[in-house]
Amino acid sequence: MARDHTDKLTLAAVLGAMGPGLLAALAGNDAGGIATYSSAGATYGYRTLWILPIMAVLLIVVQETAARCGCVTGKGFASLIREKFGIRRSALAMAALLIANTAVTISEFAGLASGLALFGVPKTISVPLMGLVIWLLTMAGSFRRIERVLLAVSCVFVTYVVAAFMVGPNWGDVATSTVIPHLVASPDYVSLLVATIGTTIAPWMIFLAQNNVVDKNADESDIPLQRVDTVSGSVLACAIAWFIIVTTGSVLFPAGIGVSDAADAALALEPIVGPWSTVLFAAGLVAASFLAACVLPGVTSSAICEAFGWERGADRSWDEAPVYRGIITAVIICAALLVILPGVNLFEIMMSAQVINGVLLPVLLVFLVFIASDKIIMGTYRNGRVWNILTWATIALITVLTVVMFALMLLGF
Amino acid sequence: MNYLSEMLKLPVVDVAGEKLGVVNDLGIATGEVFPHVTSLAFQGPGKTPFMISWRKYVDHIDETGVYLKAVSTDVRFSYLQPDEVLLARDILNKQIVDTQGMKVVRVNDIKLSATGENQLRLLGAEVGARGLLRSLHPACERIVTTLAKCLGRPLKEEIIAWSYMDLLDRSTRDIKLSVSHKTLDELHPADIADIIEQLDPRLRAQVFNQLDTAQAAEAIGEIDDDDLAAEVLEGMSDRDASSMLALMDPDDAAALIEELDYEKAEKLLRLMGVKEEKAIRTLLGYEEDTAGRIMTSEFVALPATATVADAIEAIRALDEDFESIYYVYTLDPAGALTGVLSLRALIVAEADARLSDLSYRDVVWVAPDLDQEDVADEMTKYNLAAIPVCDDARHILGIVTVDDALDVIAEEHEEDLQIAGVGATEGGSGEPVHVFGWFAHRQYWLLVWAVASGIVASVLGALGGAPELFIYPMCVMPVVLLAANRAVAFVKNYYLEYSEPEDGGKPYLGFFVQTAFVGLVLGAVIYLCGQLVIGAAYPDGAAASVIDELLSSCFACAALVAFLSCATSVAYLAILFWRDEHDRNTSGNALSVTAMLVACALYSAASVAATLAVVA
Repeated sequence: MARDHTDKLTLAAVLGAMGPGLLAALAGNDAGGIATYSSAGATYGYRTLWILPIMAVLLIVVQETAARCGCVTGKGFASLIREKFGIRRSALAMAALLIANTAVTISEFAGLASGLALFGVPKTISVPLMGLVIWLLTMAGSFRRIERVLLAVSCVFVTYVVAAFMVGPNWGDVATSTVIPHLVASPDYVSLLVATIGTTIAPWMIFLAQNNVVDKNADESDIPLQRVDTVSGSVLACAIAWFIIVTTGSVLFPAGIGVSDAADAALALEPIVGPWSTVLFAAGLVAASFLAACVLPGVTSSAICEAFGWERGADRSWDEAPVYRGIITAVIICAALLVILPGVNLFEIMMSAQVINGVLLPVLLVFLVFIASDKIIMGTYRNGRVWNILTWATIALITVLTVVMFALMLLGF
Repeated sequence: MNYLSEMLKLPVVDVAGEKLGVVNDLGIATGEVFPHVTSLAFQGPGKTPFMISWRKYVDHIDETGVYLKAVSTDVRFSYLQPDEVLLARDILNKQIVDTQGMKVVRVNDIKLSATGENQLRLLGAEVGARGLLRSLHPACERIVTTLAKCLGRPLKEEIIAWSYMDLLDRSTRDIKLSVSHKTLDELHPADIADIIEQLDPRLRAQVFNQLDTAQAAEAIGEIDDDDLAAEVLEGMSDRDASSMLALMDPDDAAALIEELDYEKAEKLLRLMGVKEEKAIRTLLGYEEDTAGRIMTSEFVALPATATVADAIEAIRALDEDFESIYYVYTLDPAGALTGVLSLRALIVAEADARLSDLSYRDVVWVAPDLDQEDVADEMTKYNLAAIPVCDDARHILGIVTVDDALDVIAEEHEEDLQIAGVGATEGGSGEPVHVFGWFAHRQYWLLVWAVASGIVASVLGALGGAPELFIYPMCVMPVVLLAANRAVAFVKNYYLEYSEPEDGGKPYLGFFVQTAFVGLVLGAVIYLCGQLVIGAAYPDGAAASVIDELLSSCFACAALVAFLSCATSVAYLAILFWRDEHDRNTSGNALSVTAMLVACALYSAASVAATLAVVA
């Protein structure tokens, strides 16, 4: 796996490579992420901080593995699953992906609805309209034109970094909580942990990371640059999450404000922007959710069609690629309908989607680790022992947490 | 036992009834149209793989297992032969090219047929839904096929015969396909290009490397997307890429080289022969989209004094990859163009006749800096299969052939369609075929209307505490949106119909005067209609004076914005001309949407301000 490429790692090449990973990291902090982190900070203060350094390492492992598989094979993750495991197990993997991604899409729609609700638009109006716009954009494949704008707007969440410093928490406490694990034996706490894992290492990110590499036609010699990209992106993603928890943990937790909707979560930004916090938070939430809601149905449908050999791509018409377009349409309609149902708590939806993501993540990770350590597929670039152990550790960690979560729920805590 | 999915995992039993293992894979001999299964791979205890000859040892097979005709101790193991392919390892679940349907598909199952007592032949790969369902579970297939039959749309098997399959993953393993095989290489280059466009980038490079250089050159010339062609080229080694470019028609090669970055292009040019390099460099010296850029330097020109026999001899001596010949041109001693002959004229003439006597003297030619669209027009007008490109002294620089002219026409047509707001992929004519597509293209103003009304309502609520008043601005808004939309539609039509005058000046002032006048009339009509409505609805103003006033001011805003939309439409015309000069494609829909959003924003702001003023 180690091959000397140091001569190619010039500063320009490194900076050039860092682009996509950083963008993906910013896009990764979507509606579900903001909801989960805010809620973690507000409910448990700094007591979930310790999971984030671990998450950063695991995120690096997963993303690096996916990118490396893409570089070596030139094929998407779905193709690899199908070719190594056959139809039955691909169907299992794709079902897991479909459920997880539909859940995330639902949470993005919930994010859109609650973001727009802060501007005074009721969800019965905002959700169908946004659903229609998103559907038209994905069908035409033209959302890439506004991708940059949305990313720029969703960057407002970087203000959490500034906010964290302005709040002036006790940095000693923060540091201690980050290093020393802290467990609370309640199903809420455990499910919050699962949600944090699920939103940081989302199944769709594996597919997206690998597709990016394949589309660029990167090969083995590009692996070092891909590593720079994944490491910088993953660290940034986790750092932002860490700052969100620190901010909410310092502002909302002592005040005893539980986060039950977007307006509560926006309060955490009050110290820095004052009355504008709602507007800022809502704009960021809407942009991030909108972007992710445009990307997710396409990624899902593309992976499923890739695995089963159906035509795919936004440039294919309904006649050429009925399944591809059908899946996208179904996912969007399903998400919009669920969010629009009267009486659902939007913030709860965002959170539970991340729990589903977390629970289904091990399924896909198992496929990933088997493929990445396969000698025939990966040759000399197959997983080293450390990587295998770390991936299996992630799988074990999530599985144990999931079991504990369900056990605690059953025991009636 | 018809499908591989049913055979895998069957027990392998010897004549003494001892179970040796489970079926893992089947090997076939690739040399036949319907290849025989020649070897059986099975997995013994402890996952040890074994391979034995099918013909020698297999007695019969049924649903319960594969029965051998020898005892386990007598079985000799064999190895995979060079002409053998393993079905499960090399074909099942893999992407293959269906060289008959010209598609890239994934193999869901493999259909076999039993012939004779113990013979098994490969019929083909199942790529349809039935194979998928069967591999999932045989019961799935039964249920779904029965259901489909009840619904009157029976689910058919989609089988691709072995002889119409081309394996894509070939390069990694040395699989030799038989002679009777129809492979990718035998397809028309345009079909190869279509298939290549469907593949992942890595596979594209692999498939390309399988083709021989001449075919690769033709196929890459057929790829419509220039970026994609350049990407494929960058994936090849410099030497291959360069020799392939040298084989292409110089004009196609020039178009492709232009997509590459400077260093790569220089390297490739330097690697090819002097003659080809010079031809391509000359073409690259002309500006893009002119006759000089799309012409080829491969044409036949002879002195006017030569005989027909000389001309035919000259044509015989040409290389095989020479551009198609439609005409022979004649030159005077100074090398200037004097006449043209068709091939037909040459063939029917006596061998010793002079070309000067046969040739047609009034030759139509174009200058190298003429716009390619005008070149195509000339060719259409005079019904030419090729047109010579000459310098001022009438020396022939090259010719533009009909295939390039057709490309130009198709390209321009596509650009025009795009400006007109119809995607070229939508069948090419008129309205988009799908009802949702039609909605997205034509009726999106409803969406803008709804969203804008929502925003107006919330702004009114925030600023004046009267969100319910939004209905007045809202009910007049469609007039504004449609006016803006139609104004841009008029600009697009004007642009498409416009033909440039000789002096090259742009008709901005005239256009502005026209549209401003139309805008004035439109604004007046809107305002008067508004007064009419108000007058009819509230005949004696006193009771409903606020509503009266609100509606009246909204109509006034609408009239003003409609006038502005028309008057400023000259800006969109300027954008269209500017982008055309800089060779950028413009989407007509983007223009319409922009105009509508601008009008919408203006109107919303104005009407909100007016409403607040009235209420206060």
